[in-house]
Amino acid sequence: MSIADTYRIITVLLTLISLMSRQELIGPQGLRQDGRRANELRKIKCKPSVLSQADGSAYIEQGNTKCLAAVYGPRETRQKAQVIHNKANINVEISLAPFSMPQERKKRSKSDRRLLEIASAVKQTFEPIIMTSLFARSQIDIYLQILQFDGGTIQICINAATLALIDAGIPMQEYVCACSAGCHENHILLDLNNTEEMADTPELTVALLPKSGKFTLLQMDSRLHVDKLEPVMNLAALGCKEIYETLDETVRENVKDLFQKSSPY
Amino acid sequence: MKPTKSTERTRLKVVLPGDTVSLEVTTPGITLGPGLIQAGEFITCTKAGVLVCSGSTYWIETDQKRYIPETGEHVVGRISGKGGEFYRVDVGSAHQAILPFLAFENATKKNRPNFNIGDLIYARVSLANKDMDPELQCFNPTNNKAEGFGKLEGGMVLKCSLRYCQRLLTQETDICKLLGQKLQFELSIGMNGRVWLSSDTIKHISLVYNALKQAETLNNNECKTLVSKLVV
Repeated sequence: MSIADTYRIITVLLTLISLMSRQELIGPQGLRQDGRRANELRKIKCKPSVLSQADGSAYIEQGNTKCLAAVYGPRETRQKAQVIHNKANINVEISLAPFSMPQERKKRSKSDRRLLEIASAVKQTFEPIIMTSLFARSQIDIYLQILQFDGGTIQICINAATLALIDAGIPMQEYVCACSAGCHENHILLDLNNTEEMADTPELTVALLPKSGKFTLLQMDSRLHVDKLEPVMNLAALGCKEIYETLDETVRENVKDLFQKSSPY
Repeated sequence: MKPTKSTERTRLKVVLPGDTVSLEVTTPGITLGPGLIQAGEFITCTKAGVLVCSGSTYWIETDQKRYIPETGEHVVGRISGKGGEFYRVDVGSAHQAILPFLAFENATKKNRPNFNIGDLIYARVSLANKDMDPELQCFNPTNNKAEGFGKLEGGMVLKCSLRYCQRLLTQETDICKLLGQKLQFELSIGMNGRVWLSSDTIKHISLVYNALKQAETLNNNECKTLVSKLVV
């Protein structure tokens, strides 16, 4: 084998590798890698009241992303400096379980910048919704734990927190649902998973009040053509409404079940 | 303890936060209880639970665990500290309640109660304001008599949901009646999700504790089988 031949083989191999690493997100049939259509959500499973110690708790799965939420409060603030004299302070802490990702074995602390950012997004989402003025000088703690990670962290955190807050009986004007959408080669994709997020797809997370149709959160970390913003936002809002229907059904069933169990007859 | 018969209440429907309730805001004398707010011309819910109506009063019954103090309610609390003229009492709410030394039957500056940290008390909420710490008193303000308020000696405390306390008080659940037919025991039901119970022997105390704990999610027929299984 000549040197030129070896060189040619190596080039072919390299192009093949580069092609393989840049995977197609949407197949020829319009199906995504996990078999969903572009505007299809992942399967949602949720269950409120999973922890007996917490004032309110919930577990939610969206596809392979799994999250556990616990709400405590209104209770006394941990530090005097956190006291807000006319409303409750909302404290959100997010942690990523060490076993939540297969590829990454780095330990993430609670003060990880990315997690803090998500926590502040969750806090901002709930601040106008929870009627904090009823509980002056107290604190509401929301603890979120990602048990398995497959993209869509912000949206699952918001959805889990909503369920847990409802379970805790904390007064809210309305409840919030969140969903993400992105744009990849003229396809608008709903509810991105980790592979799609890693492929540099611009991802927009939207939190919506489904009844009044108000937005409480719009977050995007990358660039997106302005013409695409509206369709992406609309699709995410549609996703929120779909998630809302699932959550609504579960919570209603749960409340009904609880009251049936404890009825005298 | 307000004796409200459970038959007077009607459970209307399951509601979630943000649901609009078809009630006329303009109806004269309508009272909105916890979980309902007026938003413009509509009445919306802020909690998940069951909408209950009693006369012209409407509220939402929830399965909450955290206590929000309300004037006139009776609570079981734990003395957690002592100030110059008051005790600090933990009643499970967002703030520690205050129990002044003078809020007892026949109390004077010289004749003051003597409690230690960790003692259990049964008291009435005399002041509940969101901007102030709640205040307690250990007498009935209409006749200045202790009427069972004060230190709770012996026994033990059961923590449960707020709604279960209400159900025990209104006797919506038969568990107390059923247990009472078999053995003697004493209950002090606080509206703050704490029930103090006592009996003659430790065996009976733990029996009553277990029965009450298990009966939280049982209906009256199941309570009957539970009691017959526990008490021989």
